[in-house]
Amino acid sequence: MLEVEDLSAGYGQTTVLRGISFTVAPGEVACVMGRNGAGKTTLLRALMGVLPKTGVVRLSGTDISQRPGHRINAAGMVWVPQEASVFPGLTVRDHLVIALQRRREEEDGIAEAGELFPALGERLGQEAQTLSGGERKMLALAQALIVKPKVVLMDEPTEGVAPVVVEQLIPAIGAAATESAVVLVEQNIDTALALGGNAYILEQGSIVVSGTVRDLYDRGILEQRLAL
Amino acid sequence: MILGFLPVDSFNVIVLAAVFVLVATGLHFTFGMLNVVNLVHGELILIGAYTTLQVQKTTGNVLLGMALAPLLAGVVGLAMERGVLRFLYERPLDSLLATFGLALIIRQVVQFIFSPNPQTVRSPIGGSFLLGGFNIPWWRLVIVLVTAGLLVGVIQFLKRSRFGLQARATVANPVLAETMGINSGAVRAGLFALGSAIAGLAGAMLAPISTLNPQFGLLFLVNSFLVVIIGGKGSLRGLVVAGVVLGGTLAALQFVMSTVLAQILILAIAIVGVRVRPLLGIVREAQTKTTPAASTSASAR
Repeated sequence: MLEVEDLSAGYGQTTVLRGISFTVAPGEVACVMGRNGAGKTTLLRALMGVLPKTGVVRLSGTDISQRPGHRINAAGMVWVPQEASVFPGLTVRDHLVIALQRRREEEDGIAEAGELFPALGERLGQEAQTLSGGERKMLALAQALIVKPKVVLMDEPTEGVAPVVVEQLIPAIGAAATESAVVLVEQNIDTALALGGNAYILEQGSIVVSGTVRDLYDRGILEQRLAL
Repeated sequence: MILGFLPVDSFNVIVLAAVFVLVATGLHFTFGMLNVVNLVHGELILIGAYTTLQVQKTTGNVLLGMALAPLLAGVVGLAMERGVLRFLYERPLDSLLATFGLALIIRQVVQFIFSPNPQTVRSPIGGSFLLGGFNIPWWRLVIVLVTAGLLVGVIQFLKRSRFGLQARATVANPVLAETMGINSGAVRAGLFALGSAIAGLAGAMLAPISTLNPQFGLLFLVNSFLVVIIGGKGSLRGLVVAGVVLGGTLAALQFVMSTVLAQILILAIAIVGVRVRPLLGIVREAQTKTTPAASTSASAR
């Protein structure tokens, strides 16, 4: 269970997020939606300890709000950043080994990544930098999912990815959501609908509307709030 | 520079190339990987040399001194990183000033304890052997062998060990590494301590072929930076190439000209090297490091 209470965060003197509160239980998806610049990515970065923040973040009842990133990771929260960044010079296998951090048998975890995304399984020895954009998204997702996290923060995992790859990514995200609490930043209404759960619409750093994705969609609120 | 301490013969080309690589390897960690413009590098070499001298004085055992030198230099490096430099990774100018200040302090402390007078360390292995008509001191051969062994060890350590993997990830993208569970602060501290220890080892190895005074470390500072920069920051392979080219050329030039002129020529070669380096292809590794990945820290919100 992830509980966020009155979270505020920003960059330097600029406050971007104000008074964010929500909870996500294991097996639930919380879709964080909003226009560009609303503070969606900032929310994930703040939760992951990349940005300083105020407020309380509890993971399974433990306050992790002031922990550094590696200890937030150790507590069971993982992050799939939007850019699906990789470490230059390191192979796909290296990335998976780093993600596993001795939390489970390395070979089991790597084999699971290969089952999740066969394209990765065939490229374990390849430098991650040479992967295509879609394969990098797969790698970022695999890194997050093979550690069996309590919470997964995903930042637009299907953005800029070919439809054929999206077809592979969405079931993987859905499967993750059966055991973990998923916080998903998503602009694509179709993806949000496919994964279901609750939606939180951010505007200027605050949650202005929340409800189930389906309900907000049926009432036309999603389209109205997200229209560019 | 150190030329004055070395006789001119063909083996000297190899020895000086090894010396250049040896003194630059520690800087590969602190400057090449961690990006600290580490002006205290020379004083870490100094600590290694004077540790050996002190242990020789008190116990008569030079090899024991050489074993303790990297330990002490590593501990001093760790203390500097934890105490000062870890707060300055994002402030390069401040870290440059801090290392400059630390270097001054260490140099003055060494001068206070050991006096500014020149002192010598005995070579643990005396004598020499004949090779191609030249008399080659055994200790110089040891320097070449230790440098080669150190390089193999460092390359394998960074490539194969868990710490090496974490270090390469942290250097490439500290934010991503941290959020993937790597304690990037501890990794940086470890890298700085390791680079400092290797600098200490270099000081210990070079002490017997030099005359020690508190300025000893400064002799190596400029050349270490030249080797790391020309080799392509962050590339060990490039470091070896640059060390061999610069050190070897410097030694070879002495056959035909004065030491001072040779050093001037080396600096000229270095300047040209920095200009055309990307054409040589030795820096491919280092260049790719700086391309797409560091973006996590600067991404949009």
